[in-house]
Amino acid sequence: MDIFLQQLLNALSLGGTYALLALGLAVVFSIIGLINFAHGELMTAAGYVMAFALAAALPFPLAIALAVAAPVLLATAMERVAFRPVRGASGTTLLLTSFAVSAILRVLFQNFISARPVPVPMPSALSGVINLGPLHLGIIQSISIATTALMLIGLTLFLNRTVAGRAMRAASEDFAIVRLMGLRANGVVATAFAISGLLAGVAGLLWVAQRGSVDPLMGFLPVLKAFIAAIIGGLGSLTGAVAGGFLLGFIEVTLQAWLPEAWLPYRDAVAIMLVIAVLLFRPQGLLARKTVLKL
Amino acid sequence: MTLRKTLSLTALTLGLAAPALAEDLTIGLATAQTGGLAPYDQPSLAGFEMRVDEINAAGGIAGKFPIKLIAKDTRSDAAQTALVAQELVDAGVQIMITPCDADPSIAAGMITQGAGIPAFSFCATTPTLPLAVGDFMFGNYPADNVQAAMLAGHAIEAGYKTAYILTSPDSAYTLKLPQYFGQAFAAKGGTVLGEGTFAMGQQDFSAEVTKIAAMDPKPDVIMTAAYEPDFPAFVRQLRGAGVTTQVLGSDGIDSPTTFAMGDLVEGVVFSTAGFATEGSALAAFNAKYKEKTGEEPNTVYIANGYDLGTVIEVAVTKADSLDPAAIRDAIASLENVEGVTGAISYAGTMGMPLRSVSLVRIVGGNRELVTQGVPAPEEVPAP
Amino acid sequence: MTNPAPLLDVSGLTVSYGAVEAVRGIDLKVTKGEIVTLLGANGAGKSSTLNALVGLAPRRARQLSFAGEDIAHLTPELIVRRGMTLVPEGRRIFPTLTVAEHLLLGGAKHAARGPLAETQAEMLALFPILKERLHQKAGSLSGGEQQMLAVARALMSSPDLLLLDEPSLGLAPQVVDRIFALISDLRARGLTILLVEQNVALALDIADRGYVLVNGRIEIAGSARDLMASAAIRDAYLGA
Repeated sequence: MDIFLQQLLNALSLGGTYALLALGLAVVFSIIGLINFAHGELMTAAGYVMAFALAAALPFPLAIALAVAAPVLLATAMERVAFRPVRGASGTTLLLTSFAVSAILRVLFQNFISARPVPVPMPSALSGVINLGPLHLGIIQSISIATTALMLIGLTLFLNRTVAGRAMRAASEDFAIVRLMGLRANGVVATAFAISGLLAGVAGLLWVAQRGSVDPLMGFLPVLKAFIAAIIGGLGSLTGAVAGGFLLGFIEVTLQAWLPEAWLPYRDAVAIMLVIAVLLFRPQGLLARKTVLKL
Repeated sequence: MTLRKTLSLTALTLGLAAPALAEDLTIGLATAQTGGLAPYDQPSLAGFEMRVDEINAAGGIAGKFPIKLIAKDTRSDAAQTALVAQELVDAGVQIMITPCDADPSIAAGMITQGAGIPAFSFCATTPTLPLAVGDFMFGNYPADNVQAAMLAGHAIEAGYKTAYILTSPDSAYTLKLPQYFGQAFAAKGGTVLGEGTFAMGQQDFSAEVTKIAAMDPKPDVIMTAAYEPDFPAFVRQLRGAGVTTQVLGSDGIDSPTTFAMGDLVEGVVFSTAGFATEGSALAAFNAKYKEKTGEEPNTVYIANGYDLGTVIEVAVTKADSLDPAAIRDAIASLENVEGVTGAISYAGTMGMPLRSVSLVRIVGGNRELVTQGVPAPEEVPAP
Repeated sequence: MTNPAPLLDVSGLTVSYGAVEAVRGIDLKVTKGEIVTLLGANGAGKSSTLNALVGLAPRRARQLSFAGEDIAHLTPELIVRRGMTLVPEGRRIFPTLTVAEHLLLGGAKHAARGPLAETQAEMLALFPILKERLHQKAGSLSGGEQQMLAVARALMSSPDLLLLDEPSLGLAPQVVDRIFALISDLRARGLTILLVEQNVALALDIADRGYVLVNGRIEIAGSARDLMASAAIRDAYLGA
């Protein structure tokens, strides 16, 4: 029972990070139909800024603020420079553009920062343990769960209480009509990218806090997971992305915990098969929604 | 062989690919400047180039063979490595250097073996690498089984009776090294309680750690060959779950990230290729490197790459020829070459060098030497 | 009749999607206070024309001016802010947004809260049913209610010229009557309307003038009365 609860917390923590990342992908996809594979490089950017800010002995809260601000700026810059010129082009064009952006950023990180991992010395206060009866919860794990919850609540409030947020929800359903409200298309798209940058930055910090270093290729794997999570949830659905992220976290932790040892090397294969099974029954994903992609 | 020479001569006369002078020793570097292996290949290359510059400044090997390097990026991709190796062979190199990993090294080795050119992997540690390729393939780093034997010897001496090993089937290194450790540990009377696995790069160990925390009886020691980003994530989550069991690691964690982890890695012991004791050759090298580049040598791969330059120098001097086959024979007969990381021997091996392994304990963010040396051959698990 | 400068003045308007030309160089004028209707068979280019006028469809024109200003290179959001908006075909409401949210977004061009609240109160007075449904999701409304919401959402931007695309599509006859009564009412309040409508009799009944589009070209133009009397129109649409 204790082990079960412990694994549940583990799944919550991992799934939360996947959820934040998947949400970042979905926010952009729901509006302009782009799967931004450069999302991972936004995480990496957050990690590097954190590393340099800590190396420069900046106060920890300031370092976090800078590390979260950087991917927001980078995401909006990405949109302006790379994605705006191809907006409305076919899905393939958009996808290839995002691959290109991702590859360019990775090479820039490699050549102008370092191919080797750069240490991110997190304060040692973050490595403690919270004991809840028989349960051990790492401080980073707790922060991860709490941050995910805060981000989800914050985003929900933003989407439901502000004009910009409502415009984004409307845009995810029918982008063209939002323009007929006199709302600037570029503003809505830029907001979406800024939010995805924010989500990537927060997820990137949680990711880096676990591994203690940042390297140019860091973002690839998590963004792949996020992509899978977003597909499970139904691409373009924000709630679906969150659900998909948590589901993927639960699947992975459950398999790691309870698969027979001989099967463990195949954990990812089994996880992907479960995902395929979900898609067989719900080809559009768990919470799919028809998205009108007209400009 | 003859065909290759003809080709390279043709290239020379046409002035196409190899503008090398007749007495130049041309070394091809099919190593990674970008991608996942770059963190290992780049420092290795930096050290190697430093040694080559010194040799050339002194008039070349034995005063008559200046070294010329041709470097091409393999992008950490095995197929690209084979392609680059072929280009370098066509350009007439006499020695090839391949990346810090067995897979691309085998891909490149297939080509150099066929062309009869000796090849070194910068720092691949898989003991079966030369066996998989052939007699022209050499390693340049203490092999996995040698490191594992040293670690197992330490574990027994420290009084550990039971061990848990954590492996990843994603690479030969992360899979085999802990298994060699398990074999050596069992051979010396220890008991392996279990083997856990992880997927590389996923950095979520929570489920695995929960299992370890629930083990009864608990192991005395946990051994893994995980490295960045997995090792820091594993240790963080292990300690985060309240497990304080001693952890043994391998040379992959000899990196600034590990040392930046503070209390989390206090007491961790790992194997590595060199330790700079006061007054040692390695300490002198580190000082020289810092003077030249203005940077601290933050990894032993730099010294290891530097030593490869010395190995080649000694071998070519011994062969007194630029003929690749003669160089190969000279390499295979090398004994106790004095490198900055210690003595290096190829004589009597299958191509992986016998060279000193250091066990290092992390104390207060610094290195403390546990032991240094070469394990007895009978204690090294067969590859 | 005086001949004031038209509110909307279009000449040589062409809409093409890749190689397909949906509208081929049409001329169109709408004067302030008029209801003008655009008739034609399916695929004749009516919706394309409306979409092009607000900038949602790719367009070329010799002249495209609204209220005396060239709008040929303006984006939809800027055109809407200048006072011309469209109630699109099929209503295109946002199913997961509430009625209130539709009105809020529709009035996004009102920067200040005062005018926004005022316009919203006006809309709820005009469409009492929306007041009852204010916090329901738009997807749960009936077709007629959705159409009213679509109109209300467009009116929230306080336009001078309203483009209406097939407002009767898919609605029950009684609902259609209410929608048309509403259109007359709006005109009485000083709104100018350009109407695309399948129901030719209804359209000509409330319109002042009309154009008939055939294969992307204007074949006939004239007063509603003349068009109603035209044998060609009767044959083509009224089946009488």
